[in-house]
Amino acid sequence: MNHTPQTPLKGGIEQGRKRKAATFFLRIRLAVAIFFMLCCRHAAAQTEPGGVKIFGYFQAALGHQKDVDLERELNSFTLQQLNLFLQKDLGTSWSAFINFELVNSYSSQRNWGGFSLEEAWVNYRYSNQFKLKLGLLTPAFNNLNEIKTKTPLLPYIIRPYVYESSFGETDFVPGRAFVQAYGFIPKRAAKLEYAFYIGNSPNVNTDGRRTITGVDTSRTFLFGGRIGMRYGNFKAGISATRDKLDAQALSDAFGVAPEKLKNIARLRRGADLSFSGAKWLLESEYIHLSHSFPFPQEDFDQRFFYATLGYSFSERVFGYASYWYAYANVLPIAEESFQVPTLGATYKINDMVVCKIQTANVYVDETKPKRDATYNYTYFAISVRF
Amino acid sequence: MNTLTKAVLALAFSAASAFAQVAVIAHKDVPLDTLNKTQLTDFYSCEMKLWDKSMPLLVVDLKLQSEAKDAFYKFLGMTASRMKSIWLKKLLMGEGVEPLVVRSEEEMLKKVATTFGALGFISSSKVTDEVKTLLLLAPTEKQP
Repeated sequence: MNHTPQTPLKGGIEQGRKRKAATFFLRIRLAVAIFFMLCCRHAAAQTEPGGVKIFGYFQAALGHQKDVDLERELNSFTLQQLNLFLQKDLGTSWSAFINFELVNSYSSQRNWGGFSLEEAWVNYRYSNQFKLKLGLLTPAFNNLNEIKTKTPLLPYIIRPYVYESSFGETDFVPGRAFVQAYGFIPKRAAKLEYAFYIGNSPNVNTDGRRTITGVDTSRTFLFGGRIGMRYGNFKAGISATRDKLDAQALSDAFGVAPEKLKNIARLRRGADLSFSGAKWLLESEYIHLSHSFPFPQEDFDQRFFYATLGYSFSERVFGYASYWYAYANVLPIAEESFQVPTLGATYKINDMVVCKIQTANVYVDETKPKRDATYNYTYFAISVRF
Repeated sequence: MNTLTKAVLALAFSAASAFAQVAVIAHKDVPLDTLNKTQLTDFYSCEMKLWDKSMPLLVVDLKLQSEAKDAFYKFLGMTASRMKSIWLKKLLMGEGVEPLVVRSEEEMLKKVATTFGALGFISSSKVTDEVKTLLLLAPTEKQP
């Protein structure tokens, strides 16, 4: 056996290394133990009435898309959405809520999808007549805005155009607000609902020398609200928001000086009507979007409408037909409209798992350049709560 | 079997089935002594979270189908599945919690009697003085 004698110095170094390694592994073991202890304590907290509640859902889909005119087809699996919620009651009048959202098979490694903090607010409940949300929140606008990302509540896989995140449409409905006062006033069997909120206008300041970068509300805030009524299974309301946007990037297209497009007022007006009985469901919305561009002879208004009629064939099976229409006149840039008739069904496997199917035809009509197109979408999805 | 015999048997069966009466019960310390239908609907659909400024409301539901559950939801004018979707909406909007679910009326009685602020329903014949009866629902015919 070949034995190499160690010098005292080498032995000391070796012993020191061993001690360091032992200390390192001890620290790792301690860290792991502490981590598991914290996890166990945290898991226990989920079942306690006053603890942090952790829950969420995801929706995975298989889609078939077809460009009918060009005869191009695409099949694709996607994890459409995953939301994770944290909720905690902070006494009898206060509660906190956080909503993390990951969309389109999010992967930062592959540059897919998106991850966002959708909501983080604290709620103060003085009474049913007056409640207050403070923090990042999705404001009330028509029927669907507050629940547009809550896929277990929706029969759709492809949501009505202005609410479908994959279309990237951000003009028609307000995405975020930071303070919302809301509540309802009971009047016999009816309830008068209200919500008023303030948020940021969409201008983004990228000039770090002027102030901190990010959303710049120095020109205006977003103001908005909804007033509605519920009576039994009927619900109806009107909504409006007003903010200003910086449209200087469009100065070349319009052929005007950028300063003229600096503070363009944007007004959204909406109306909603819905009915949800034991068997039947009706949802409908109308949204009118107008801008104060300095060209009175031109019409830049945009309009959107959708209506859905659904029927519960049993406790498990629900079917629906829906129709959407959108029109955007932003000449001289473009003018386009589209119509979407769509059919779908859901099958509830249990309270936590729902299968969905939806097919939609999209008829696009553009005038500049002139183009008609027809697309067909068919999707299967599974929606899971946890 | 002639028609007359069939009629007599049918009459005897319907008399034997009698009627199911359901009582809406609550923990003895709740500040209300009665409830009307609108209040009951608001309480069960999580519109109300508190009995008063300090007492939280805890709704208890029956997991399995039963005559009492059928009669209760019929009185509210909605199906159990519709109520579940209301609870889910409140939960996902951060405005409420799902109710506590129990497997039997006996468990419901025990849970309501021992849980501060609890509200539930059971057949009126099973009510004891451990709980407060807030509302007796009009009797409905039992399902054959």
